[in-house]
Amino acid sequence: MKIGRRSFLSFLIGGAAGTALSPMPLKLTDDSAIWTQMWPWTPVPEDGEISHVNSTCTLCPGHCGITVCKINDRAIKIEGMKGHPVNDGGICLLGVSGLQLLYGPTRVQTPLKRVGARGSGRWEKISWEAAVSEVVKQLGDLRAEGKSHSVGLITGSDRGTVPQLFARFMTAYGSNNVMRTPSMRDSYELTLQRMHGTRALPGFDFENADFILSFGSGIIDGWGSPVRMFKAFSGWRSNHGKVVQIEPRLSRTAAKSDRWIPVKPGTEGVLALGLAHVIIKEALYSSDFIDNYSVGFEDLQRLVLDKYSPDNVAAITAIDQKDIVTLARDFAAASKPLAICGRGRGSVSGSLDEFMAVHALNALVGNINKKGGVRAVSEIDYINWPEVQMDAVAAAGMQHERLDGAGSKNHPDTRSLLNRLPAAISSKEESSLQALLVTGANPLYTMPGSTAVKKAMAGIPFVVSFSSYMDETAQNADLILPNHTYLERFEDVPTPFGLQQPVTSLARPAVEPQFNTQHVGDVVIRIAKALGGSIAGAFPWEGYQTCLKETLGNKWETLMTKGFRLDDNDRAFAGQMTFDTPSGKFEFANKETGRMPQFSPIKIEGDEKLYPLVLVPYDSFRLAGGYIGTPPFAVKTVEDTVLKGKDVFVELNPETARALRLREGQHAILSTPRGQAKVKVHWFDGIRPGVVALPRGLGHTAYDKYLAEKGVNFNELIGPVEDPGTGCDAAWGIMAKLSKA
Amino acid sequence: MDSALIPKGVKRAPLWQFILFLGAPGTVALWGVYAMLLCWFKGLNQTNMNDAYGFALWIWADLAVIAVGGGAFFSGLLRYIFGKDVLKSIINYAVLIGFICYSSALLILAIDIGQPLRGWFIFWHANVHSMLTEVAFCLSAYFCVLTIEYIPLILENRQIDKVPFFHKLGHNMHEIMAVFAATGAFLSFFHQGSLGGVAGVLYGRPFGFREGLFIWPWTFFLYTWSAAACGPCFTILVTKITEKVTRKKLVKDDAIEFLAKVSGWMILAYITAKTIDTWYWATVTAPSKGFALMDFYSNNPFYGIWILIVEVVVCGFVPALILITAKGRKNNKALWTAVILAVVGVCLNRWVMVLQVLAVPVLTFENWVMYIPSWQEIATTILPVAYGIILIAVSYRYLPVFPHEAELNPLEPSTAPEPESAAVELPVEPGQGLIPAEA
Amino acid sequence: MKKDKRYGMVIDLDKCTGCGSCMAACMAENNVPFREDESNKLLSITWMRVYKLTNGKPFPETDVCYLPRPCMHCGGQHEGHSPCVSVCPATATDYSLKTGIVSQIYTRCFGCRYCMASCPYHARYFNWWDPVWPDGMEKYLNPKVSPRMRGVVEKCSFCFHRYQLAKEKAYIQGRRELAEDEYQTSCTQACPAGAITFGDLNNHKHSVYKDKKNPNAFRLLERLGTNPKVYYISSRAWVRRAGDNYLRNEAKPAKAVQHG
Ligand SMILES: Nc1nc2c(c(=O)[nH]1)N[C@H]1C(S)=C(S)[C@@H](COP(=O)(O)OP(=O)(O)OC[C@H]3O[C@@H](n4cnc5c(=O)[nH]c(N)nc54)[C@H](O)[C@@H]3O)O[C@H]1N2
Ligand SMILES: Nc1nc2c(c(=O)[nH]1)N[C@H]1C(S)=C(S)[C@@H](COP(=O)(O)OP(=O)(O)OC[C@H]3O[C@@H](n4cnc5c(=O)[nH]c(N)nc54)[C@H](O)[C@@H]3O)O[C@H]1N2
Ligand code: SF4
Ligand code: SF4
Ligand code: SF4
Ligand code: SF4
Ligand code: SF4
Ligand SMILES: [Mo]
Repeated sequence: MKIGRRSFLSFLIGGAAGTALSPMPLKLTDDSAIWTQMWPWTPVPEDGEISHVNSTCTLCPGHCGITVCKINDRAIKIEGMKGHPVNDGGICLLGVSGLQLLYGPTRVQTPLKRVGARGSGRWEKISWEAAVSEVVKQLGDLRAEGKSHSVGLITGSDRGTVPQLFARFMTAYGSNNVMRTPSMRDSYELTLQRMHGTRALPGFDFENADFILSFGSGIIDGWGSPVRMFKAFSGWRSNHGKVVQIEPRLSRTAAKSDRWIPVKPGTEGVLALGLAHVIIKEALYSSDFIDNYSVGFEDLQRLVLDKYSPDNVAAITAIDQKDIVTLARDFAAASKPLAICGRGRGSVSGSLDEFMAVHALNALVGNINKKGGVRAVSEIDYINWPEVQMDAVAAAGMQHERLDGAGSKNHPDTRSLLNRLPAAISSKEESSLQALLVTGANPLYTMPGSTAVKKAMAGIPFVVSFSSYMDETAQNADLILPNHTYLERFEDVPTPFGLQQPVTSLARPAVEPQFNTQHVGDVVIRIAKALGGSIAGAFPWEGYQTCLKETLGNKWETLMTKGFRLDDNDRAFAGQMTFDTPSGKFEFANKETGRMPQFSPIKIEGDEKLYPLVLVPYDSFRLAGGYIGTPPFAVKTVEDTVLKGKDVFVELNPETARALRLREGQHAILSTPRGQAKVKVHWFDGIRPGVVALPRGLGHTAYDKYLAEKGVNFNELIGPVEDPGTGCDAAWGIMAKLSKA
Repeated sequence: MDSALIPKGVKRAPLWQFILFLGAPGTVALWGVYAMLLCWFKGLNQTNMNDAYGFALWIWADLAVIAVGGGAFFSGLLRYIFGKDVLKSIINYAVLIGFICYSSALLILAIDIGQPLRGWFIFWHANVHSMLTEVAFCLSAYFCVLTIEYIPLILENRQIDKVPFFHKLGHNMHEIMAVFAATGAFLSFFHQGSLGGVAGVLYGRPFGFREGLFIWPWTFFLYTWSAAACGPCFTILVTKITEKVTRKKLVKDDAIEFLAKVSGWMILAYITAKTIDTWYWATVTAPSKGFALMDFYSNNPFYGIWILIVEVVVCGFVPALILITAKGRKNNKALWTAVILAVVGVCLNRWVMVLQVLAVPVLTFENWVMYIPSWQEIATTILPVAYGIILIAVSYRYLPVFPHEAELNPLEPSTAPEPESAAVELPVEPGQGLIPAEA
Repeated sequence: MKKDKRYGMVIDLDKCTGCGSCMAACMAENNVPFREDESNKLLSITWMRVYKLTNGKPFPETDVCYLPRPCMHCGGQHEGHSPCVSVCPATATDYSLKTGIVSQIYTRCFGCRYCMASCPYHARYFNWWDPVWPDGMEKYLNPKVSPRMRGVVEKCSFCFHRYQLAKEKAYIQGRRELAEDEYQTSCTQACPAGAITFGDLNNHKHSVYKDKKNPNAFRLLERLGTNPKVYYISSRAWVRRAGDNYLRNEAKPAKAVQHG
């Protein structure tokens, strides 16, 4: 058949008409709707059996109880555990985003050995055998050379079985260079040690207090146990409790409080003494407490009456005299007033003088060891392991001075001075640390002067990280032995900071380990056993879980069923007014021990002429500032006046901005004696003129693309400033300069 | 080469020249098609729209082309229903322009939706309360009407007309054209109106929201009215441009003048109504929601009050006054000015009713939002223009779009049937050496 | 008491700390996707968004308030005539007269975005991109809420799937009515400050019923007639005034109008 033009056309037209009339178009149209709903790249989550696992969140020191909701073997949601003494059902945005850390791209999935240069990101996947033997070989060699004391350990915490297993390991191995991430807890512990005579955490009865005087504490910015603080805050809104926030910037806490005292930064402690002046001068103090349960009142009285009159204090703090007097009267008139300190989240240890001055206010109004007051909370003492039997090498190693000088003549009571480590390492030709183990901490990012920290670490020949995540420190390590995340492992979790009732919680696996990771407790035990001798002998347990079960003893049952356990022994506490001080009383001062009140504000780094502004950090609840990297959900909540694209904004009072000719949103160079960074300017009326504020928690180089390379790490712009009293870092800011980019 | 297809009695440029001429719009069209494919395959992230500007350049283009395409229904109404035979000279072209406008609008809509494969849901799961449903139905129906109105013109192609069936079909369709014109006018009334309703019913957006009659906000009527008023101006404008390009007189002056005059009075009436509407809105509707007039305009130069003055005075009253005076209509420059202003005016109106509606912050703690279209949006918006030029060129070349063209441009006997010296090459000033039909 | 339910929220702005837990809890519950850069808030899907309001005064009189904004589940002037529902051409968003909840049917939405244009609260979000989870992260996706495809609009659903689950459970136990605590939204549950209360605004046994009558209660943009089902409480006058638009010389804002 010859196909002519005509027949071809007829065929086309006929075919088209036929197709149009057939059910085909209808079918195709219908199908198109279905296709668009089932694009293979849009996931369809599998449904199944719902179950729940109660556990504990260890993403921050808050230690909330959590309930993990599961479908089959997948964890799909984390919620606050109802009835948990810390958070009773509440949860913070970091906690609720935890599954993004569990399943996220930041996980170290298997032991890794560095193959490229440090920090180049080139790794070789190795077996656990190989990883452990590498550590054993390096540590074994150092020990054989008699250099056990040149091994250091940095942990995120020193409480609970895991940090204690590490500490035990170090003792048995022969090094006392055990350091942990510092925080306000250091200063609070020392404050209580001096004034209450007990080395303990402070416990605040926020729930029953009615007037909170906060010296820059970010009550709702992550201070203490965050969710508990939120709940307490909310309680004050319902029961007319008053909150006064003293800080130079209108933080969330300041904005939500009843009164904001925009003090000149760094003069908070002076203000506390000014308030003490008014309270003492006007005899507003609790004479019952002062007369019966305290010593050294006269010394305090002399100090504040001499030096800290309202007009003096007004000149230093830039707060109106009248406001100082009113504030003191209001504080003293409240029935349950509480004064607290520790700036922001409390991630800097701070000045001991300042802590003691603030705590003295609690004592002046007699709100110590009472309902609605503050007391020293002792640790639940369940870790009763047999004394370590040191061999000769260990004993010799332990004789060496600590590198950071903690516990030395100058700072006998201080336990750890991580802030000094970089200088201690770098001051010598050969690094005084030959090996460093890091667990639950990310010093390369979180330590002030992080550039110097990085340099110091570069000089240590062997760095091992036990991190679950590819954080900055892990990135720059030689070997990573990844731990399970908190959602995959067992661990005991001690009382969070600030709670009055001691509580132990249990973190337990919500899901099977997702990757080729191992519990860090097991790994320590394994390393110890492989090193043999007395080191192996110090670890009689088969593995971590046996150790934990044995250690917890009869607590294990309760923890497994309830998830937490309140301390039974503590029930006895009911406003006893006995103190463990030499005098048996609360000590404002003690002539016999030679401790007298004094006050010396911390001078921050930088020359005022070169750096006319003051740079302070601020903690934003939407960004994690510590070892844990902010997960994508949380990053998403960060306001566009904080982060825009890769640029971070500094907050600047419009008055200062105008003087510097910096427009809203303009690029600028922020420089400090420690470094400089490109930032954007955000005009904010809620900040004292002359002050610049930068958020903590940005400027990561590690973790995932959702977090890395955004903004600036505040720690690169600041360095530590030692508190003369403790040796701890007390830098609350640094002098700075802003210039047009 | 293609002379067999070219209508009898008119002169056309040689094919190579014609093809060369199509090169420019063709390239632009290809660019537009590329952008369109990007949008379809990669999604609307190719645009600079965002959650504040859910509607943007495209919806504006849609509303604008439909408004200016209003010349088709309005001239159809005048020609077939009111029997204004003077429009015979321009009615084909009006229909063609309308067809282009409406097909463009549909094309843009097909790109503009996030799930193009589900576009038909608007018919299948129709929500009768939605102005957009009304728009979709009327728009599609009216597009069909325009196609039907356009078909007889295609059938008049010299070769097609030779087929007896097509000849008869074309003839019969002409007979019943009044029915379609009436249907078209009716449909247009509604879809032009419902387009106005799109912004007018947004009671959450005080800039767009208007009170009205029953379910119809005043913008419903204002849109129909403005399309009827300004659409013919666009028809005139395109005709004038075509005449410029072809350097021929194609439409009789009385047709243009008649259309201009009607348009003038319509614009005057429309802009008066619009002024009253604006007044009422500014003094009653908006204040009842807590907005002063200047809240809608102040704060940034782009959406300043100038926009209202330009729309109402410069592009409203000015063209209206020009067009209602015989002197203005007859003065070529004034006529050009008037039709351009009128077209700009109606487009500006559609612009503010789409974009400014969204830009004005309603929550007190939100700010004005700005938006600059991406190249993909611009390319796809220019695509219809290129497509329109091509369709006009092809139709003009092969179809008797202008029934009076031969009469207005008598072929000189000396000119060969295969003209080497094509019309485009003749340095003839428009109007010069042409005999007015009535003269 | 066979009255239809009108689920709604009362958010105490005095308690809200702006911590953002509600935002993250919503994302986690509802499979909200995320991208590398979420700092352009006009492209960032946050069913619950916490706004930062300032009183505009200079230092040290400056004040800040945080305002969480879910979908208001507007009822409109006659229940069901929500700004967004009435305009959707494809009936892809609907108003339930039984619960007062404004639904969103992702598989029917064809992405015309008319509903977004109609919503004065910017509560609606378009999926400009395909949702992509980093390798392995799909594991946490909640099967009770389907992930959305590119090109459709999404918004807060008052965690409707939780209502369905609670109803199913009650039905199996032979009950018709849900107790207040049986159906709570993810954001309400997560809020560490307890700033959000959720329940049936028609039910005098639910706390929202009483809370919405607080003299300091107000709703956003009441004057537009959207009739939202989210109430706010603030003891600060400037915050209450920021809830709506007023002419410069207009008298003090009227008290919240009570509906139902
Ligand atoms: N002062 C202070 N506070 C802190 C921190 C800090 O470093 N210092 N860190 C903060 C940060 S960043 C973190 S990571 C968290 C975590 O910090 P936590 O997990 O809260 O750990 P620490 O408070 O450092 O633990 C030290 C306490 O452990 C107790 N302890 C030591 N040995 C034993 C033992 O054998 N048995 C028992 N039962 N208790 C023992 C001591 O009483 C000592 O007070 O805390 C936060 N708070
Ligand atoms: N929202 C909010 N976020 C915060 C804070 C806050 O207050 N609020 N606090 C910030 C502060 S000050 C700090 S320093 C950090 C504290 O961050 P961390 O130092 O991490 O917190 P800790 O509670 O001390 O950690 C307790 C235990 O967590 C373990 N850990 C938890 N997850 C992992 C893991 O995946 N792998 C390994 N190897 N160990 C893990 C550590 O070994 C340690 O023993 O949190 C910060 N994040
Ligand atoms: S406050 Fe801390 S412990 Fe509690 S949920 Fe948040 S991150 Fe976890
Ligand atoms: S979770 Fe609660 S306190 Fe936090 S921002 Fe949301 S509503 Fe406010
Ligand atoms: S808030 Fe917006 S999306 Fe929600 S019901 Fe109201 S108009 Fe619709
Ligand atoms: S975008 Fe979807 S839900 Fe919104 S109006 Fe269009 S079809 Fe309806
Ligand atoms: S009610 Fe549910 S969907 Fe709505 S904002 Fe809260 S968590 Fe998100
Ligand atoms: Mo820490």
